[in-house]
Formats: sequence, C-alpha cells, structure tokens
Amino acid sequence: MRRFREDTPLLLAVYLVKNTPARRPNGAPAWSRVLIDLAQFFNTVFNGLSLSSIILLTSLGLAITFGQMRVINMAHGEFVMIGAYVTYLTQKLFLAVFPESLFSVYYIVAVPAAFAATFLLGSLLELTVISRLYGREIDSLLATCGISLIFQQAARHIFGAQGVNVTSPKFLSGGITVGGCTFSYNRLFIILFVALILFAMWFLLYRSNFGRQMRAVTQNRPMAKCVGINSRKVDNFTFGIGSGLAGLAGCSVALLGSIDASVGQSYIVNSFMAVVLGGVGKLLGTVLGSSVIGFSGIAAETFVSSSIAKAIVLLIIILFLQKKPQGLFTIRSRALDE
Amino acid sequence: MNRPAFRGVKPPRNPIITGVDLLPRTDPKTVLRINDISVSFDGFYALTDVDVEVKRHTVHFFIGPNGAGKTTLLDIICAKTKPTAGTVTFYPVGREVVRLTGMKEHAIVREGIGRKFQVPSVFVNLTVLENMVLSLKGHKGIWDSIFHRVSEDEREQIDTVLQKVDLRDRREIKAGSLAHGEKQWLEIAMQLVQKPELIMLDEPAAGMGKAETEKTGEILKEIKRECTVIVVEHDMEFVKQAADTVTVLHEGKVLTQGNIHDVLADKTVQAVYLGRGGER
Amino acid sequence: MTKLKNQAGNLCFSLIIIGLAVMPLLMAAGVAESPLIIFLGKCVAFSIVAIGLDLIWGYTGILSLGHGLYFALGGYGMAMYLKLRATHGAITEFMHTGGLTALPAVWKPFQSLPLTVLSVLIVPAGLAYIIGYFIFKNRIKGVYFSIISQALTWAAYSVFIALSPYTNGNVGITEIGSLAGKIRGSANQGRLTLLFYVSLAILALIYATAAFLVRTKFGKLLIAIRDGENRTYFSGYRVSRYKTFIYVLSAAIAAVAGAIFVNFNGSITPSQMTIAFSVNMVIWVAIGGRGTIVGAVIGALLVNLCEYNLSSGGMIEVWQYIVGGIFCVTILFFKGGIMGLFREQIPAFLRKLKVRGGQKVES
Repeated sequence: MRRFREDTPLLLAVYLVKNTPARRPNGAPAWSRVLIDLAQFFNTVFNGLSLSSIILLTSLGLAITFGQMRVINMAHGEFVMIGAYVTYLTQKLFLAVFPESLFSVYYIVAVPAAFAATFLLGSLLELTVISRLYGREIDSLLATCGISLIFQQAARHIFGAQGVNVTSPKFLSGGITVGGCTFSYNRLFIILFVALILFAMWFLLYRSNFGRQMRAVTQNRPMAKCVGINSRKVDNFTFGIGSGLAGLAGCSVALLGSIDASVGQSYIVNSFMAVVLGGVGKLLGTVLGSSVIGFSGIAAETFVSSSIAKAIVLLIIILFLQKKPQGLFTIRSRALDE
Repeated sequence: MNRPAFRGVKPPRNPIITGVDLLPRTDPKTVLRINDISVSFDGFYALTDVDVEVKRHTVHFFIGPNGAGKTTLLDIICAKTKPTAGTVTFYPVGREVVRLTGMKEHAIVREGIGRKFQVPSVFVNLTVLENMVLSLKGHKGIWDSIFHRVSEDEREQIDTVLQKVDLRDRREIKAGSLAHGEKQWLEIAMQLVQKPELIMLDEPAAGMGKAETEKTGEILKEIKRECTVIVVEHDMEFVKQAADTVTVLHEGKVLTQGNIHDVLADKTVQAVYLGRGGER
Repeated sequence: MTKLKNQAGNLCFSLIIIGLAVMPLLMAAGVAESPLIIFLGKCVAFSIVAIGLDLIWGYTGILSLGHGLYFALGGYGMAMYLKLRATHGAITEFMHTGGLTALPAVWKPFQSLPLTVLSVLIVPAGLAYIIGYFIFKNRIKGVYFSIISQALTWAAYSVFIALSPYTNGNVGITEIGSLAGKIRGSANQGRLTLLFYVSLAILALIYATAAFLVRTKFGKLLIAIRDGENRTYFSGYRVSRYKTFIYVLSAAIAAVAGAIFVNFNGSITPSQMTIAFSVNMVIWVAIGGRGTIVGAVIGALLVNLCEYNLSSGGMIEVWQYIVGGIFCVTILFFKGGIMGLFREQIPAFLRKLKVRGGQKVES
C-alpha cells in the first residue's frame, strides 16, 4: 500500500482544514464528531483510491504504448470504449443464451473477452498503421487521431448514438458498511483488479524474458535486431498488450456508468496527464501520477464542484510540469535536437 | 581599484559559483579563461577542476580519448550544460569583461561566441543562403526579423564567407541536400558570418576525406587572424597541421598543455592517448 | 523557381477569393440559396483559423490540439455583445435561471462594440501569452505541448460548463443575430452579402499578413525553430520569445475567426471549445497541406464543403469514416497534403514517367 502512504499527508491536510473549529462552532460532543469525521476521512481516502485506480487502469496501457514505444496513441480512449462494449455484448449474449442463474458469470467471461478483442485489434492496428510511425511521435499522434474518429463512428453505427448500460453482476452489487463508511463492491473490485494487473505488468516488464526483449527493442530498435530479437513481433505484441490493457479498463468503466461512442474521450486527458506527470517510461511514475491526479481531484471536490475540481487539478499539474517538464522521474539525454 | 566592470548578468544559482568575483586575467592575450570548472552528472564527475586559458588569435585544440570531457567542456562554455563549480570568463576586445557562467545560450552567442556541433546541425529545410542570413550578426529581435532587410554590405559578407568554403554556387540549394562535408563547412560558415571573437568547433573534420580535412585546416589558419578558434578533434594529422596550443584532457582532468611538439613528446600523453591508436 | 511557387500559392488564393466573391452574386441572381452563403461564411471563418494553426504547426512545429479554446473565446466575446444588443443591455434569461439578479461584471464591457472587438482580441491573446510564456520558456515541446494544450482546453471546457449562470453551460449563447442584423431568410440577402464580403476581406487581409510574415526572415526563423530549436538558440535567437509571439498571433487569428463564425452561425456553444473540434482544425490543415498558407485555406474549404454536400445527401454517417481515413493516409504517406501532392508527389511521378518513356525510346 505504498500509494496510500504517499498521499496521506495531503489528505490529512485537507482533513484538518475542513475540520478547524471555526467552521464547526457548535455540534455534538467532541468524541462523536471525531468518529464521524474519521469515517468521512476514510470515505475520502477510499474515493481517492478508487478514482486513482480508475485513472491508473486507463493509463497503464498508455504507459506501455507512450512510455515504452513512444507512440502517442490518441485512439487509446476508443480501445477503452471497445472494451466496455465487449462487456455489454457479453452480457447480452448471456441474457439471450444462458439461464438467468448463470447471469453473473458473464462478467468473468467479459474480462478475457475484452482483453482478447482489444489485443487483436491493437495488434492489427500496429501491423497496418503504427509500424510505419516509429520514431515519429507527432505523426503517430495524428494518425491515431484519425483512427479514433473512425472507431467512434463505427461504434455509433453499430450501437447507436444512445448510451447503453451494463448491469453489475450480483457479486459486485451492494457494498460493505464499516462504522459509517460504505465501500461499494464495484469500487473495491476495481482497486483489486488494478492491483492484480499492476503486478502482472510488473512481472511481464521487469521479470520475464519477453519484458527484457521488449525493453531492448523500445530502447534501441536496430541494436535489438542485431542481437537476434524479432523486433517486428515484439513491437506488435507490445502494442497489443497496451491496447488489451485499455480493453480491461473498458470492462471496469462499463460498471461505472453508461457506455457510448465517446466514453473513452472522458478518460483520455487524465490518462495522458498521469503518464506525463509520472515521467514517460516509468511504470512506478504512472502509478504515482494517477494517484496524485485521483487523490487531489477528490480533495478538491470537497471545496468546489467536481468539474471545476478537475480543471483545477489539471492546471496545478500543468504548473508543476513547468518546473519539471520531464515529470517526476527524469531521463537524461545528450542529443542537441532530437 | 582598477577592476574591470562586471556586466549585467544574473548571479548564477549555484552557491559554489556565487562569491567568485570577476577573475583578472593573468595574461593580456587571454580571450577566455576556464577557471576550476567541475561538472558532475548524478555524482559522476565528467570534468574535475579544469583550468585553461585560451589566447587570442590562436587555434587551441582539446584532444583526448573518448569520455575525456572535451564536448562537455564546450557545452559548459556555451551554456548548454551548467557547471557544478567554477566559472568561465570572456575578455572581448574593447568591451567589458563578461562572465559566461550563468548566462543563457543566445546571450552568449550575442557576446560573440559561436559553436559548431559534432553532428552537423544546419537548418535542412532552408537554403544555404537563408541559413547564412539567419546567422548574420545582430538583428536577432522579432521586429528586426520581420522588417529588417539584408543590406548590401551583409550580402557581400555572406558571399565572401561562402566563397571561402566553396559553397557560393550552391547558395540556392536546400541545406538538407548538401553532402556531409559540405554541411560541416556550411556550419562553419554560419559561425564565421556571425563575426565571432571566439569560435568553437566540435570535430570539424569528422567524416571528411583527406583533402577536405586539409582544406578545413587551411580555413582554420586563415580565420584565426580575425578570431580565436577552439577545436575538439581526434584526427592527429589535422591537429599537427593547424594547432597552436593543445590541451590534453583525460578522464575529466587536464593532463598536459602546450604546443603540439611538446605534447606529442610527453610520455603520459603517449601512454593514455596516442598509444591507443590516436595516431593512425 | 521558389518565386514561381510563391506566386502559384497567391494565384491559387486569389482564385479561391474570386470564386467565393461570386457566390453572393449568384444568390442575387437566384441561383444559390442563402443557407449556402451562410455556410460559406462559416467556411471563411474556418479558413482563417486554419491559417492561424498552420502558422504555429506547419511552420513552427507547435502542434496545438486545443486551438478551439481561442476560437470559442473569440466567439463567446462576439456572442455576448450580440446577445446584449438583442436584450438591449438587460440581463438574459439564463442568468435569471442561474440565480443572478444583475448583469455580471464580466458581461459589462460587451455592451459596447469597440470594447467587444478589443476583448475579442485581447482576452484570447492574453491567455495565449500567459500559457505560451511559461510553456515555451521551460522548453516544453513536441507531443508534450500537444498533450498539455489538450488538457488545458479540456479544463477550460469543464469550467465553461460549470459556470452556467455566466455562459449558459451546455446550451451556449443562442438566438443572436449578426453584426449586420438578421441574415436568415430571403428578405435579408443584402445584409448577408455585406457580412459575407466583410468576412472575405478579413480573410484576405489575414492571408496577406501571414504570407508576408512567412516570406520574411521571421518566417525562415519559424522553420528554423521547427527543424532545430536548440540550433536556433545557438544562433543567438531567443526562441521562446519567437514561439510565444507566433502562438499569441495564432490565438488572436483564431479568436477573429470565432467572432466571424458566430455572426454566421447565430449561436455559440461549448462544442466549439472541445478537443474534437480542435482536432478537426488540425485535420483541415493536414489535408490541405501544412507549411503552406494557401494549403490551410484549401483544406478548410474542401473538407467542410465535402462534409456539407455529403450531409445534405444523407451520407453524414459515412463522412467521419472518410475524413478519418483520408487524414490517416495523409499523415502516413502524403505529409504535404494536397499542396504537397502538387509540389512533390505529382512532379516526382511525372519525372518517373518521363524517365521510363525515355528508356523506352532508347531501347
């Protein structure tokens, strides 16, 4: 729970500011106040954690495509959208084919299905478009912008402009209440899910043979080829993983609200900021970046409305990036003009 | 006290540098004084207490094996890298002394210090002539660049310099389509047309053939009449041909310094550098 | 050779202007409908913002994914004036709904036309200056700039929606006329014609300014910054100032375009401030040809005309596929867009043909 500790000081500060005596001149005996406030505090932490985990989930794929491959995938949000729609389709399939008692199982099927669908699509996209754009960051950004338009229109074509909804499986509806705090299973699940994916990714990137090959290719493509790595295959697989992660994010996004063609767009800005803030190319950086955005967003929401809070958080991050343009973790380069 | 006035440069942020007052030069011929420069990258010292004086109207070579810190030293002079400690002071003719450490890149260029980079970095989508016009001395502000027209005088200057490097007939060609050696010369020409007092060249002969290298050497000898030249180079033939003073760097420290014959005869230099195939 | 090419661009632009200028005459003759003219008026606005975007992207290499922000700011300024003129300076309905009892202070300057024109220029330019000053001074460039510009626009968008008592949130400022009065309907053709010609004149003026700028040393410097920012610093130029200057200029141009747009559109909504709309602008410039002023104009006109024709033909559903596809192909294979086709690809192709033909003759 490293993330938790990193942000505790900030939240404590927020907690203290909120609870200064001046703001609460009268009220119940001190001890009950403290208990209620503590409950509120844990609620805030929980909300922050859950928002951070959603941002992190949508950023992890970017951390691979942007951070490792230096491809700015503007269609990343659309992969999230596709993941969400796959979840919706799986649900529809289960309703139509299987008895109602098996309904909840759909979500367990939807997760690998969403990953597989987006992985394949991502890998196809890499073959046709992305592979021509390595080393051309701006062009990769632009081309994927075009792709994102096409995907959005396709979604509108197939599913209509109206949003669709996914019913949470039974085991994820409801929540537990501990001393005045309610933790919904939905959000607990997402936090757990992210932790699991994070571990898997860490293992894949830093502990597996494939991860070594992948880092070799992304750091120096010609050299990797020279030592006998099939860089085409590695690139393809890497981009597929990045897209697949977006698909997994789509699965969780589906639980949170209605799905439409532009659902991915609402996550993309925060995800990019999380990757940039953390320092491009660092997994830990992305984790930190998204928790900073998530927690400060929730913290700001206690003072102002949520849309203004988002704006304020973004502005603060942009100001921070002025001081450290390379993000929290920096990588040194000696080239004059890259 | 007859101390030269110190001109409006912000004191550098580094606490080690502040407090060092303006350095008097020990020799009136000195144009640049590199004083006890150290630089560390995350704890690794690329340069340690480098102390060199460059004399006016000389061709001053910095040689040394890879990783000796030659390019880093140039980076420090032109403010691409900030030193951890030490100062660089510039003594222009007829003007006040300038402390370069802590100044911005463009301000240093405007003081009259030009630099050619190791990898030729000309503006590939502009013609040779446009490259030269951008490099002319003065008129670097926004309004000037919009409304100022290139004068006859400046045109002649450009022509003369281009003539020197054999690029006069190719002035309408895009710089990107020049050959590698021609790009190197164009970049040198771009420095010359700035009329610098000090010009720094990072491996000007890299990727050039024997004849081209020799010609570059001749150009250096010619331009040192108008300015001072600092060169970083590996090609020993080239060094022998053009050098007035040679400083040998090794692992971030000054190994020895002097004229080319003394340096070549030095036992340590032979051991650490020349013996490794520096002289091919 | 270069001179000829420059003249070709100007010639091309003159033809476009003449073509556009004929349209109101056709309307007077009864051949064209007034909605078409209104639509063309919007296209003129789009061409103007495309010129602004081309200056920073095509020439200087600063890809802004948030130029809609400045376009919308200009648009809102003009819309506020027009709205107040419609209500005779009184408080508007949505302000009542939002709980305001008096005209808010930010709306006050928009009661007078000169102040409106001034703020349409100053507010976006000032904002661009603040953003540009810090970002360029700290040497944030490339995709990092694009991502930040996107985030800023998104932030501004959410703030605009949240401040609905002042901005009417999602709905935007609607039911406003134009500076020339009502322009819709066949009875108001005279006013529409006047408005259209004024807009066309502004387009020509901005084109001329931009074309002049890129031909001076300043223009060459922009290209130099695009190709080698650090090298330009080491040539003695304070690059961050140049970048800020051109960014502010581009924002002001976008704001002018927004103000013109509102006059023809009759409303402004936050959708002009979205990332999607900003990306559209980038698409116009890319397809027309970045790095040529006339290319930006051609792109904006062509893409929008195609969209107009297709959507009236009921093909609106496939339109986004087409534009997305063409944009992708442009980025992948034709970096210079349509202008690049004429300047590089087609001459290269012809040369190839000639060579082949020559070989046949020889053999």
